[in-house]
Order: sequence, then C-alpha cells, then structure tokens
Amino acid sequence: MRLPVIGLSAFAIGLVAAHFIVLNALPDYIMSKARERMTGSGISMHAWQMSPRVTPETQTIVRPSPDLAYAVCVIDVAGGPVTLSVPTWPEYSSLSIFDASTDNVYAGSLDARLPDAPGARTVIVAMEGQAVEAAEGVDVVSVKKPEALALIRRLAPSQGLYDAAAALVPVSTCGPA
Amino acid sequence: MNIVSAFAGLFLGALLGLGSALAAAGIIGPGARLGGAVDVSGWTSDWTIGSEVANPWTRARVARHGLLALTKDEAVYFTRNTDDAGERLAEGCDYRVKGGAMPAQWWSITLYNSESYLPDNTDNALSYDLTDAASAGDPASWFFDLSASPSEAGSGWVSSRAGGNFDLTLRLYKPDTDFIADPERVLQAPSIEKLGCGEAN
Repeated sequence: MRLPVIGLSAFAIGLVAAHFIVLNALPDYIMSKARERMTGSGISMHAWQMSPRVTPETQTIVRPSPDLAYAVCVIDVAGGPVTLSVPTWPEYSSLSIFDASTDNVYAGSLDARLPDAPGARTVIVAMEGQAVEAAEGVDVVSVKKPEALALIRRLAPSQGLYDAAAALVPVSTCGPA
Repeated sequence: MNIVSAFAGLFLGALLGLGSALAAAGIIGPGARLGGAVDVSGWTSDWTIGSEVANPWTRARVARHGLLALTKDEAVYFTRNTDDAGERLAEGCDYRVKGGAMPAQWWSITLYNSESYLPDNTDNALSYDLTDAASAGDPASWFFDLSASPSEAGSGWVSSRAGGNFDLTLRLYKPDTDFIADPERVLQAPSIEKLGCGEAN
C-alpha cells in the first residue's frame, strides 16, 4: 500500500515542479533566442536596424503586422544606461521597450498629431539601481536584467511610407548614455 | 523498492509536467487560455498581455504566439478562428467580414496560419485596416472578403491562400478608455459570414 503512495506523491511533485519551472523559463528562453536570431542576422548591439517590409518571405517573428514598418535596437545595459531618441511620425507610431522576460515595460507614442507630441521622444533604459540623470521630458525605464529590446512601430502600409520610415532610422539614436 | 518507485514517479511526473507546460505555451498545440480573458462575439483577447501581471500561462503563450506584444494602454489584440456559425476558418471556404467603427485610433485585421505566421503567398493581401475602410468610403460601415482567390473588383480582399486552418487578429491601437473598461459593451465585433466552400464558390 505504501509503494503506490510514494510513487504517486513523487509523480505529483515532478509534474507540478516541471510544469512551472518550464513555464516560467519559456519567456526568457524565447526572448534570448529572438535576440540571438537578430544579432546572428547581422543586427548590431545598440544600433537601430530597420526590418525589411513585412511579407511572408521576410517575417522573422510571429504575428508581424504587414501594415507597420518596424525598427529594432538590441540593448544591453550591463555596462550602463542606454539612451534612445526617436523622431515622431505623422500617423500612428510608437516606441516600445521589452525586457528579458518579454514584458512590455514601456510604450510611448510617436504620433506627431497628438497635442503634446515632442519632435522626438527620448528614453533612458537602465538596470534597477543604476544611477540615471534625466533631463526634463526624458522618460526613464528600469529593467531587472540587462538584456532588453526596443521596437519602433510606424504605420506604413505603402512602399513610399515604408521608405519614409526607413529614412528616419539614421537620425534615431540607441546607445550608451 | 521505495526509491525506485519514487524515482519512477518523479520521472514520469516531470515528463508530463514538461509536456503540459509546452502545450500550455502553445509550443505543442494551440496553447491554453487561462484567466484575464476577454471574449466579444468569439473574438478573444487578454487584457494582461505584455504586462508583468499576466499569469505564467498567458506569459508563455504570448511569448510563443505574440512576442513583442504591447500592453493594453497602447494596443489590444483579439484573435478569432471560427466563423459566425462556430466553424473553423479554413482556406477552402470563402467568407465576408463586416464591421463598423472601432473604438481606437487605428485598427487592422490580419490573417495568420496555424503557426502564427503570415501564410506563404504572394497576393499582397494579408490584412484590412482603417485606411482601407476609409478608402472604400465609410470607416463606420465596411466589409471585405476572405478567400483563397481574389474577390470581385472594387471590394476589399484578404487572401487565405496557403493559410490552411487560419485565424484573424484584430489589432486596436490606442484603444479608447471606455472600451478598455467595458469591451463587451463598446466593441462592435466584426462578423464573419461563411459564403461557401469548395471550388464552386
């Protein structure tokens, strides 16, 4: 009688432990793989990289939107905070930051039509505990782990608008503060 | 003997735990929807997507099927894989999608295959959005056809060619605050009417 109880108890412990260990590890694992794919495809750390116009042939992440133009910057704040500065856009657009666990820790509008829209949005990304000096109007985002991703989305359903969005990448910054 | 029994139980449990975690995340199968769910006429979402408060099942599933999704203040995402009759959306059938004004600054509806990728076709017709609805005349009353071959000239078309059993994602960017507070009351969820199936259609 004792044998099945021990076996069943061990089974239950193994099931619950493995389920939650794997479940909690998956977002970090998937994000680290995404970062690896990006850097492996030639994207440099701390540099904005325009993604090709989204088509079935060019998609690299799940559920991309073909109506949007994307630009990405791979961030590592282990050596200190990183500052992003990105121009606004005449249509819907946003700057978002994702931490190593895939959480969307920041989203700021880049829509120039909004009443209080700045000409460019500036954000400093730092590890919790890192000293940051931010000027007025600059947003500060804290992350728990050094790895992060920044993403620009710009509504650009035509080739002409995509080209206009791409032209803003050279004047956008992403690098050590 | 007790040790053997314990190790065997632990091993089998861990194996099942691994499998159930991968299934819940949608790495094996469609994934689990647990907690925080919003369902408006078959269009499902989860207001905790992208945020730290999401439960571990939602976080894992979003990492697999919606990596880099935004939080609800910036955008919300609804997915639907059935028509108005509750039948699975499939490449072999034709549909008409109808809707009205959306409670957001901008919106789009995009087709994805069962692996959450754009289907491998060159039709350049994988989404319909507010810009299309406005171009067609009235963003408060719009429709488009969903089929593997082009619809009649002049009407909107989203191609399901090579989509297999597909789903649609409705994105609402900069959603209205009253919609976030009460999505079931505010959202006029688009309808998906099946027009027919097979080559005769």
